[in-house]
Amino acid sequence: MKKVFALLLALVMVFTLAPIAQPAHADGEIVINFPSIWVGTDSKAAYMSELIEKFNEENAGSIKVVVEEQTDYQAYRDKIRTTVTTGNTPDICILDTTFDIKAYAESGKFMDLTPYLEEGWGEDFADGAFDAWSVDGKVSILPFEAAVFTPIYNKDIFEAAGWDHFPATYEEFFQMAEDVKAAGYNVMGQMAGENGWSSMLWYSLIVEAIGGKDVYADGLENPAFVEAAEVLKKMYDYTFDGAVSAGAADVNGHFIARDTAIYLNGPWWIANFYKEDNAVDGKLLADSVEVATNPVYEGGLGEGGLVTTVQGFLAAGKQDDPAKEAAVVKFLQYLTDPEHVSELALSSGAMFFVKYTPAEETRPISQKVTEVANNAAFTILHVNGAFPTAFSTEFPSALAALINGDVDAQGFVDQLQEAIDMA
Amino acid sequence: MKPTSSDRRALAAFMAPAIAVMVIFFIIPILYVLVVSCLKWNGISAPQVVGLENFVKLLKNSTFQRSLKNNIIWALVAGFIQVPLAMVMAIILSRKPKGWKFFRTVYFFPQVISGIALATLWRAIYNAEHGMLNGLLSAIGLGSLTTDWLGNSGTAFPAVLIYWVFYVGYYMVIMMADITTIDTSYYEAATIDGATDFQQAIYITIPLIKKTSLLTCVTLASVMGLRQFEQVYMLTNGGPNHRTSTMVLYMYERLQSESYGLASATAVILIIVGVIFIITIRTLFNGRGETVKPKKARRAVK
Repeated sequence: MKKVFALLLALVMVFTLAPIAQPAHADGEIVINFPSIWVGTDSKAAYMSELIEKFNEENAGSIKVVVEEQTDYQAYRDKIRTTVTTGNTPDICILDTTFDIKAYAESGKFMDLTPYLEEGWGEDFADGAFDAWSVDGKVSILPFEAAVFTPIYNKDIFEAAGWDHFPATYEEFFQMAEDVKAAGYNVMGQMAGENGWSSMLWYSLIVEAIGGKDVYADGLENPAFVEAAEVLKKMYDYTFDGAVSAGAADVNGHFIARDTAIYLNGPWWIANFYKEDNAVDGKLLADSVEVATNPVYEGGLGEGGLVTTVQGFLAAGKQDDPAKEAAVVKFLQYLTDPEHVSELALSSGAMFFVKYTPAEETRPISQKVTEVANNAAFTILHVNGAFPTAFSTEFPSALAALINGDVDAQGFVDQLQEAIDMA
Repeated sequence: MKPTSSDRRALAAFMAPAIAVMVIFFIIPILYVLVVSCLKWNGISAPQVVGLENFVKLLKNSTFQRSLKNNIIWALVAGFIQVPLAMVMAIILSRKPKGWKFFRTVYFFPQVISGIALATLWRAIYNAEHGMLNGLLSAIGLGSLTTDWLGNSGTAFPAVLIYWVFYVGYYMVIMMADITTIDTSYYEAATIDGATDFQQAIYITIPLIKKTSLLTCVTLASVMGLRQFEQVYMLTNGGPNHRTSTMVLYMYERLQSESYGLASATAVILIIVGVIFIITIRTLFNGRGETVKPKKARRAVK
């Protein structure tokens, strides 16, 4: 009886503790696991879903892409970090600049895509797209989604404040800010809550305007970072109440509600200007907004510059099975096919590192943002992308300290530097 | 009677699953964390052994110090304010006043709602622009007191702490269950001797639950105070400027920064602080504790 009991016990333990593995080949079909953030309300979700469905149909019986949906961006990053660190790198995943891309590329945990790119696939990508992200000439992380950050303003609010143009200089910017504030509007949305995204973008614009093309060359040593912090703090006099604890929803909500004059975010947000849901009295938000450029900072080095980033990288986990490796590459090539990317750009408003012939653009705002990007004298990454991950983690805290008066502009920069050194 | 070898084998067989689970899910992870705490590792590149450097860095870091301090405050508030509040409610409702079942349900109800949902609700209440709290203050003529409760350095931590202190239902129910097991003859005797409800609570109920449910609740509450994460993460994400940060949140931020060594060192310190708290609480409760004998309880109310 005891032996039977012991056997049962052992069986229970084996079945409850043994990992449940998903076979790579189920009935000869190769299953590609793709945890994706391009789902839910993400602007790329609809077309991505369509594209994957089409790929699965075309490859029915041989390859199947299974999407693991994750709608929370931070949770998605946490998941990818954990899976990669624990040796369970997904077959395909999306990375952004909050990851240490160089370290990921050097880790050997991702598939070397160089041979496939050299066979001609690489010609689909923008010239020099891989330069900053390749390691020893090998490319394992593909820059895919691009983003440029340029202010967009509400012409109706400007008009109400007596302005018919966007300020060309920061001096003029603060004159405009006074007028807009006097007219009863917020000038721009700032946020030190969550990841401080909007304020991080504003800070990047000011840093670019002051420090110019080579502002990141000496790290945070460049005095532009302290000066830019002073300007950013001043901007908080012209935002809505409670901005220190505010998040992205607050910033977006205020602009949609037409009580804030200027909006700063990536091009993926343009689609929202055309949504009927955001219209007021039948007037689309798109009919009220205009695209501007970063004002010039007096004595600054950044005239004509543009803040940009790689919003999304595509990476594939290293495979032992050549058949599966081929299947993963086939899907990546399908995803980055210029024709598909063109459709994806049109449907989402996002920009990409793939060279494509733009489909007929129905959104003038997207066209204008593209024009701004094409006319830029030079580009720099936003600050989160230019510094190690510890910078972006610390940014909202250092910003709150700055705005609440716990530290001055130098203290703000020191706090960020300390966080980088700590990591 | 000495156990036979057959008894010992049976004993081992019964204990084996629990020991295996304990080793796999508790001992091995702790050993792993201990090892990683001595590494400089981003989770991707080859790790570098740095000995105790991570611990030194942490103890010198002002954000970590603040997180540790916040956790200690949190654990103390949990153990010595939240649980006593729960105890008062448990004692009152155990006397079964009119509507006690309704109030028991009302007090316990927040426990069935996720902490995330409650935090979201309170985030809306504290909202600087449209929040109910500022609205209420303005409505009663105290508009000068309105502020960005979660963004102001001075109000953020109290705001996060205060709302949570009043969710006492969980501990209340545990203590109510214990109080119902107390022999009613003690209360009958005390009533005959002229003891008031308050005296009965002080001299009978509290001494009799002190080493059982009260000790359990103080331990649980303090440990939960040390583990605080979701409320803080949802309400303030540790801000403004780490004013509301806790050690678990600090550890999470180190993971986000791909500093696995620092995150593990934080976990080790958290474990040590937890052990110190548990030992201290048990010493406090047992040190001066003596089992209250019915005779003594009767004497006390005379």
